[in-house]
Amino acid sequence: MSQARQFDPAEEVHATELAFLAAHDDGPRPPGWQLTPRAVVTFVMGSEQPLTLPRGRTIDAVPARLTIAAKFVGERALVERCVVTLAGERGLLLVGEPGTAKSMLSELLSAAVCGTSGLIVQGTAGTTEDQLRYGWNYALLLARGPSREALTPSPVMAAMSGGAVARVEEITRCLPEVQDALVSILSDRRIAVPELAGGSDSAVYAAPGFALIATANLRDRGVSEMSAALKRRFNFELVSPIADLATETALVRRQARLLLERVQAPFAVDDAVLEVLVTAFRDLRTGATVEGWEVERPSTVMSTAEAVSVAASIGLAAAYFPSQKDVLSLLPGHLLGVVRKDDQGDAARLLGYWDGAVRRRAEDGSRTWRRMWDLRDQLNG
Amino acid sequence: MTSSTVDPVTEVERLAASTEPFVIGVRHHSPAVSGVLPALLDGFGPEVIGLELPTQFQRWLPWLTDPATSAPVALAGAGEPLWFYPFADFSPELVAARWARAHGVELVAFDLPLGDPGWAADRDGGGGRKLATALRTGATGRDGDDLWDRVVEAPAPGSPPERVRRAALAVGWALRADDGEHVDAVDLRREAYMRSALAEHGGRRCAVVVGAYHAAALLDGATGPCEDVADAVTSLVPYADPLLDSRSGYPAGIRDPRWQAAVLSARGDPERIETALVGFVVEICGRIRAQGHPAGPGEAREVVRLAGDLARLRGLPAPARGELVEALTTVLAQGEPLGRGRIVAHAMEQVLVGDRRGRLPAGAPRCGLAPAVEGLLRRLHLPDPDAPARTELRLDPLRSLLDARREVTLHRLRVCGVPYAQPGEVAGVGNAEAVTTRWVAQWTPAVAALLEVAGLRGVTLAQASAGVLRQARAQEREQGGSTGRQVLDGLQDATRCGLPDLVAERLTDVAEVLPRSATLAELIEGLDLLARLTTGGLPGQAPSPEIGPLAEVLHEAAIRQIDGLAGSVDVADARTLLALVVRRDRHGLSLRLDAALAHLSDHGTALMRAAAGAVRVVLGLDDATGLGQRAAAWLDLDSPEELTGRLSGLLAVAGPLLEAGADVLDPLLLRVERLPDAVFLHRLAALRGGFDVLSPAARDRLLTAVEDRLSDRLDLVLDIDPVLLGQWAQADAHALSVLERQGLAGAVALEPPDRWRLVLGRRRDLLPPTARRMALALDELYGNGRGEGSKSGLGGGADGAEPPSPSVREWSEELTTLFGPLVREEVLAAAAATGRVDAALALDPASARPSVTLLTSVLSLAGALPEHVVARLRPLVAKVVADLTRRLATQLAPALSGLATARPTRRPSGRLDLRRTINANLRMVLKRPDGTVLVVPERPVFATRAHRSTDWRLVLVVDVSGSMEASTVWAAITAAVLSGVPALTTNLLAFSTEVMDLSGTVSDPLSLLLEVSVGGGTSIATGLSAARSLVTVPTRTMVVVVSDFEEGGPVGPLLAEVRSLVEAGVHVLGCASLDQAGAARYSVATAQQLVAAGMPIAALSPLELARWVAEQIT
Repeated sequence: MSQARQFDPAEEVHATELAFLAAHDDGPRPPGWQLTPRAVVTFVMGSEQPLTLPRGRTIDAVPARLTIAAKFVGERALVERCVVTLAGERGLLLVGEPGTAKSMLSELLSAAVCGTSGLIVQGTAGTTEDQLRYGWNYALLLARGPSREALTPSPVMAAMSGGAVARVEEITRCLPEVQDALVSILSDRRIAVPELAGGSDSAVYAAPGFALIATANLRDRGVSEMSAALKRRFNFELVSPIADLATETALVRRQARLLLERVQAPFAVDDAVLEVLVTAFRDLRTGATVEGWEVERPSTVMSTAEAVSVAASIGLAAAYFPSQKDVLSLLPGHLLGVVRKDDQGDAARLLGYWDGAVRRRAEDGSRTWRRMWDLRDQLNG
Repeated sequence: MTSSTVDPVTEVERLAASTEPFVIGVRHHSPAVSGVLPALLDGFGPEVIGLELPTQFQRWLPWLTDPATSAPVALAGAGEPLWFYPFADFSPELVAARWARAHGVELVAFDLPLGDPGWAADRDGGGGRKLATALRTGATGRDGDDLWDRVVEAPAPGSPPERVRRAALAVGWALRADDGEHVDAVDLRREAYMRSALAEHGGRRCAVVVGAYHAAALLDGATGPCEDVADAVTSLVPYADPLLDSRSGYPAGIRDPRWQAAVLSARGDPERIETALVGFVVEICGRIRAQGHPAGPGEAREVVRLAGDLARLRGLPAPARGELVEALTTVLAQGEPLGRGRIVAHAMEQVLVGDRRGRLPAGAPRCGLAPAVEGLLRRLHLPDPDAPARTELRLDPLRSLLDARREVTLHRLRVCGVPYAQPGEVAGVGNAEAVTTRWVAQWTPAVAALLEVAGLRGVTLAQASAGVLRQARAQEREQGGSTGRQVLDGLQDATRCGLPDLVAERLTDVAEVLPRSATLAELIEGLDLLARLTTGGLPGQAPSPEIGPLAEVLHEAAIRQIDGLAGSVDVADARTLLALVVRRDRHGLSLRLDAALAHLSDHGTALMRAAAGAVRVVLGLDDATGLGQRAAAWLDLDSPEELTGRLSGLLAVAGPLLEAGADVLDPLLLRVERLPDAVFLHRLAALRGGFDVLSPAARDRLLTAVEDRLSDRLDLVLDIDPVLLGQWAQADAHALSVLERQGLAGAVALEPPDRWRLVLGRRRDLLPPTARRMALALDELYGNGRGEGSKSGLGGGADGAEPPSPSVREWSEELTTLFGPLVREEVLAAAAATGRVDAALALDPASARPSVTLLTSVLSLAGALPEHVVARLRPLVAKVVADLTRRLATQLAPALSGLATARPTRRPSGRLDLRRTINANLRMVLKRPDGTVLVVPERPVFATRAHRSTDWRLVLVVDVSGSMEASTVWAAITAAVLSGVPALTTNLLAFSTEVMDLSGTVSDPLSLLLEVSVGGGTSIATGLSAARSLVTVPTRTMVVVVSDFEEGGPVGPLLAEVRSLVEAGVHVLGCASLDQAGAARYSVATAQQLVAAGMPIAALSPLELARWVAEQIT
């Protein structure tokens, strides 16, 4: 259909599943929703068994039996709370460390609830009120004066009038006074346009189904600079890193393989290497090892996304430089590169990790970890 | 009976269908089962009901079901392990017992009797959790929620009683089947006993109320022998809601008793549960508001809606506890688990736990702690009511078993707050730990009275002391987490009281708390304590080898703290550093330690640099000769403080090496001997100060070693022509005589041994007269020294005729004559620093150099002096402060000059400036055919936001808990300078455990500094909360904390305080030190947590602080 893209929106990738679920569960849905709340949860978390359409119902291009793939790795209860929040009158704010799939969750939720994940505002320090409320087509404004035609709606305004889900990414990066533009939107459920006062266009009202999902990063600014008024209009959900080593390793492998497939390179990184990589990331992220040893946390974020990119780099090195036999030896260098971002002290903390966890595991007789301990000199570079 | 090939459904069906006996599987607290229990019993109509309670409790059952008894109450039994069976209204056992009483049905306690050897069997870990996991995935809720809660409690409201019973049995069966062959030996033994006890009632209609886990085992399997066991001490005691909650530290196994009670009283009616939920939510919001955080009806409504909708989405009849907690967290905690989340959690706990206390009917027998203790004391031959006399005891717990038991008993009584025995002081030999203990014990009426009080916590001494310690621990947690000190004390108490469970709990605390928040000294204390635990060097405690890894964790944490020593000027810290690294040798060299030491020796204070350098040599990281040469070069430093500091650091670490005559310090020794006399005299005071670190005995040994070396050193190799040498000597002698004639050569000529006697302050009797005067003048300052050998005479020889101490005036004149005015000032300042007021008074204000060190030592004196003496010190302080202030003001002027002018922002805002846009785009005006004009705005111009210039407030929060430190002085002076800046209000708060607002005198550093009183503990949280009360406009307020961040209390409240400031938008900054050096001594662990909470921390100079202030404002 269209030309190749690096990214496809969720509603296109999962179009079949969405259509299937809409037909599968015809229970009551909140006004303006495409699916029932239960189906939204199923869409995000996946169904373990194949689902079957109710007897006698057939829809074009939708199979009668389908297993919904799991898309978000995490707690079901969290997704349930998100869905319930969206059905209410408050905004949903997903907070968490970087790389915990907050944005993906928000994309999946909006695609499932309203069929589009495209009404998005990316928050930066340069985001202005126009992008949250409305702007003007200045040429038209100057030529004709204020009119509905000269008004350019923001994604949020478009979502309001269409009864869809608007997404604001990294909301805390916007200036506080810009963020506060959302306060009246969330409480009054309308945007007043004073320039057009007196006419029927003087306000844009939210259609049923309008909801707002914002994401915020706990590391770079946190929610500390949000005004109390705005906070009170959001339900907060903390998205935690993946709780389980095997799940995270599997995710890293899957994602890294996808990255390599995109450049048509084979993914030939050993599982043992991946496990060492993910274990090290988890230890440094949580500040404690699986064995319960205390580890000093670097100030850098050790996210799963970062682990994926390291795994992919190692995979690329193995693919493009086949003479490089021992990919494990690349690991300390990559770890150092990940850790040494902001704080000089972080490199020392990595040394501490080597002294403690790595050495002890090596002494316990694990072969890969002994190799890692042997590679410690790479850290002093 | 338990293999995975069995079909779960038929298995549970078989359990449920059984009528011999009729099994009701329960959890010991369960509103769901309690609610349906009467209906179940009505339906079955039993003749006898069995309760899962040890047989000895049978006698208490009438009291338990007495109508005058009001829950919560607890049954307790003496012995090891401790038995404690708390009952609340929602405990199925209590409900069943009451039902039995009301219907006249027989009630039997049929669990294994207390004291049966079976109880002591090992507890096994248990197998996998396959079936339970399968059951779990079918249920709703969060991953961490309890299986029982989700499968039995949550779906219960409105369900038929039989369905609840089956769900409970299914959970029990699944857990049991998962354990397979790994069931605890204790449980197997108990089940066998229960089966045989049931068999006795064969033929009657029998219902049993038993833990769901055991349900399946009661139906079939061998019966166990019913041996008779000695009777045990049992008691029925009142209990309280807070103790019932599993967070109290008491065994209970349920959370939020008040919520559970409300669920029970709703009798399974979903609507009534929702009503109760609304009540709780409103109450919780009220509590949060009472804490000063917004939570209004809007939030409450959203919580109720969310909980209800979640329940509906999950297909539950009514919201359960899980839904309530999730909804509260989502709506109210605002994604901050530590800041606001903690407040919400606290409010939830207050509201949901409740505060009901149980009552026993009048006439119930009193509990059994006092008789148990009296019997114990009699057995141990300690003073008891029959022989109450005061007795002195000297116990040797490591050799004698009786003494070990006595020791443990005495400690337990002490912990319970019973004033029975006082520990005495025992000094060990040398540095070794004392192995014997001394006590004075006596039985008094107060002992008897307080035993009654302690009796509420248990029926044996072990139970009661464990209860006290456990509650102390729970209380620490409630107040925001244990501090390092509390953890160490708790561990010490637990080991001394011989309570292995508590030791294990405290060891987890050690792993959790110490690495994050303990100071280096505490970490080392912890390491020592662990070492003793490992070797079993504590009475009442078996050796526990498994704590080795924990010791390593502490060790690594200690290494991380090294960075925080960089700013230390305390010799004790240098010794701590050594103490730390000598413990390291077991694990070989660590990369981190290497890096930390290198950092310290590059960036530390003089003292710490030298100490770190010496430690590196001790560890073999650095070349010894290199250090020796560097040390020799220090003698050329012209700053006495620097020289003293470095020597102290070096000697504190390398002292023993030096005594042994190692050649590490050869270059230094050589340099001391070869210095020109004048230079030597100039440096003498500083050198003496440096060597003062060594104990007198150590200095004696060093002197002997040096003397030996000097006498040994003969220049046997003569490679120069003797004639030439003779000519050189002649020339030298001639030159000296010329110089003497000119008055250029010193009058004193000091031989190397004499130099060493002066430097080390020993063997004054061997010195020539002038040198002896010098030695005397310096001894006046340094005295006998500290440590080994300080009790013997000064001179070391049999001098006898010591001259009396000179008056300060004489001394000061003597110093001037012997060493010159510069050294005199240096010595007097050092004397003032050691607490000699007269020396401070002898300093001349006019000539005193403006040094912060001098100022701090004089100021720390001022606190303890009468007003008239302070008045005499005032000119000196005034002079120094004025000098320093003037200097700083000059420095700061450029940094602050930018404050008044506002810079417009370039960020385009949303508002278009039409007039300017048209002006800027006039050349783009197109005239269209229809006559209208079209402006194409190629370069739109936006209106910039007007800059709001309003007053800012700076709050300096200064730690004065330790001593008067340079940071305090600089803070006061900086505050004084900044108070002169327009548009900036400067406040200064001095805090220890209390806060003193010195904002009134902030423009006058002199009176401010004289007003500060130093000392006391550190409570940064208190200081910050006082600062928070000064905040009016958060976004235009800066709070700067000057402290070493060694928080005395728990870290939790401190973090919460910081977060709430940061959250409010206040600009916060932590100064680990505020002085010109830029190196700080502080607790790295706490600082890191504060940084994570949003308070950046750095060691700053006053100039950098002023720059930071300027940056915030512009």
